[in-house]
Amino acid sequence: MRRGAAGRPLLGLYIPAAVAVLFIVVPLVGLLAHASLADIGDALTSSAALTALRLSLECSLLAVIVSAIVGVPLAYLLARTAMRGRRLLRGLVLLPLVLPPVVGGIALQSAFGRSTPIGGVLHSLFGVTLPFSTAGAVMAEAFVGLPFLVITVEAGLRQRDAGFEEVAATLGARPWRRFWLITMPLLAPSLTAGAALCWARALGEFGATITFAGSFPGTTETLPLAAYSAFEGSGAVSRAITLSLILLVISVAVLVGLRDRWLGTLA
Amino acid sequence: MSLDADVGLTRGSLEVRCAVHVEPGQTIAVLGPNGAGKTTVLRVLAGLDHSRDGHVVLDGEVLEDTASGAWVEPESRRVGVVFQDHTLFPHLSVLDNVAFGLRSRGVARVVARRRAHEWLERLGVEDHAASRPSAISGGQGQRVALARALITEPRLLLLDEPLAAVDASAKVDLRRTLREQVSGFDGVRILVTHDLLEAAALAESVVILEDGRVSQQGSFAEVTARPRSSWVARMAGLNLLSGQAAADVLRLGNGSELVVVGGVRGPALATIQPRAVGLHRERPGGSPRNVLQSTIAGIDPHGDRWRVRLDGPVPLVAEVTPAAAHELRLADGGVVFASIKATEIDVYPM
Repeated sequence: MRRGAAGRPLLGLYIPAAVAVLFIVVPLVGLLAHASLADIGDALTSSAALTALRLSLECSLLAVIVSAIVGVPLAYLLARTAMRGRRLLRGLVLLPLVLPPVVGGIALQSAFGRSTPIGGVLHSLFGVTLPFSTAGAVMAEAFVGLPFLVITVEAGLRQRDAGFEEVAATLGARPWRRFWLITMPLLAPSLTAGAALCWARALGEFGATITFAGSFPGTTETLPLAAYSAFEGSGAVSRAITLSLILLVISVAVLVGLRDRWLGTLA
Repeated sequence: MSLDADVGLTRGSLEVRCAVHVEPGQTIAVLGPNGAGKTTVLRVLAGLDHSRDGHVVLDGEVLEDTASGAWVEPESRRVGVVFQDHTLFPHLSVLDNVAFGLRSRGVARVVARRRAHEWLERLGVEDHAASRPSAISGGQGQRVALARALITEPRLLLLDEPLAAVDASAKVDLRRTLREQVSGFDGVRILVTHDLLEAAALAESVVILEDGRVSQQGSFAEVTARPRSSWVARMAGLNLLSGQAAADVLRLGNGSELVVVGGVRGPALATIQPRAVGLHRERPGGSPRNVLQSTIAGIDPHGDRWRVRLDGPVPLVAEVTPAAAHELRLADGGVVFASIKATEIDVYPM
């Protein structure tokens, strides 16, 4: 980057910036200081930890897929149509961002629990029970992650007008062909960014999952839940720390990888 | 194959009303300043916008008629458009951009690519077939865009400022290519531009669109020789005056009079070539000509001639050589006398 004399960074900005970095780094250092290599080795070979890890990855990926399937069309309608009530709808989409996750879990429970109308129908017709099931954990994660995907994809669509779709129309491409061959490929960077944010949020999800899906090893106990129960229950702090570190390493690796490949301008 | 269209709609604060009739094998230029509604007209013809009231009939087929509610979607109109921006799909190779139209119409991939390759060769850009659009120049991009539009054999070809985003050095070549390709295309051709030179190179007749309205139409030579609006006059490099003609006099709106060659009576327009305006520091005597005492409002170099803007009874632009400008000390400003022979004033009915 070229810097002229007038573009020189202000010295006064360094101090608060350093505070921000320390604020993030110090707790992580604390975490590392408590973990010993032996603990990490133990945890990595313990089947309980591996089960939680696998469940975490599965649930968060499913949550991203579900969010993308319903979130991309929603973002498209929000960005490209003059739908009535669009502002209200956009506000509703943001709701899970401000709702405490535990409250979100309770909300899911009161909408889809066995004793509710929807939950009852699902159970009696399809034999599906959402609460305290893996599907419930996925739902809880999608609930909190969806807004990130919708907002990012909508912003991506708003960044450019429908010019390329119009060119495609004059070339004889029908609406669905335009959507798949023009809209979606051009959306790839923001879709990736949105999916990454959604995934990161889903991977760390705790509150909504524990209230709606509970914490059953192998079914709904994802890494954050396992870390918490290790920390709370047996006082096995080191195991909790190890689980957290695993989570940390995976998220950072994925996010940094995506950032370099796709998010150049966004991140 | 002919086009008969009447476009009427409101775009923001602009009320657009433009009727065009184009015969087959003819190129018409919709010419006008920026913001006059030219692109809006083109979008309606392509089916990207609806008219509020009007119709588009191409080759006997009604594409839009607001009276009957008839409407044909853009993808079914068989139009080819070369846009000024949004030219090429950034995520597809040059070859796949050109093949897109054929693929959309169900042509097999292999066939579509082979024909796309032929078109790239025809336009001299086959070396870039595998490139991404971001890797080629603006001029090459417009060649590819033209190939992409023509490959589908449209019935109506619409060119929206095809040279606007191309740098000057590439313009000459591209203009020639456009003329060759466009004249070899047997459908209806419409060029939208604010550039007189582009219109001159590509079109036989012009429709002047200003503030959403057609202010003049006719052959290129006719319109530029006898402009009906100050914009056209300025683009053609002419002084345009309006007033009442009577016998040998043109009486202008502000009351001043010019001696002209008679023939026209009533409301009239008149043009004066800037080089026909003589400048003097002293009032010239003798010959029967118009002498206007004026003040110098500004001087703009214009090639090997300088354009002198004059304020006075008649606002004029005069063209002088730099040597004359120096001799008359025009750079000092002040009062000059402009002389115009009656025979140099072309008067025509309004």
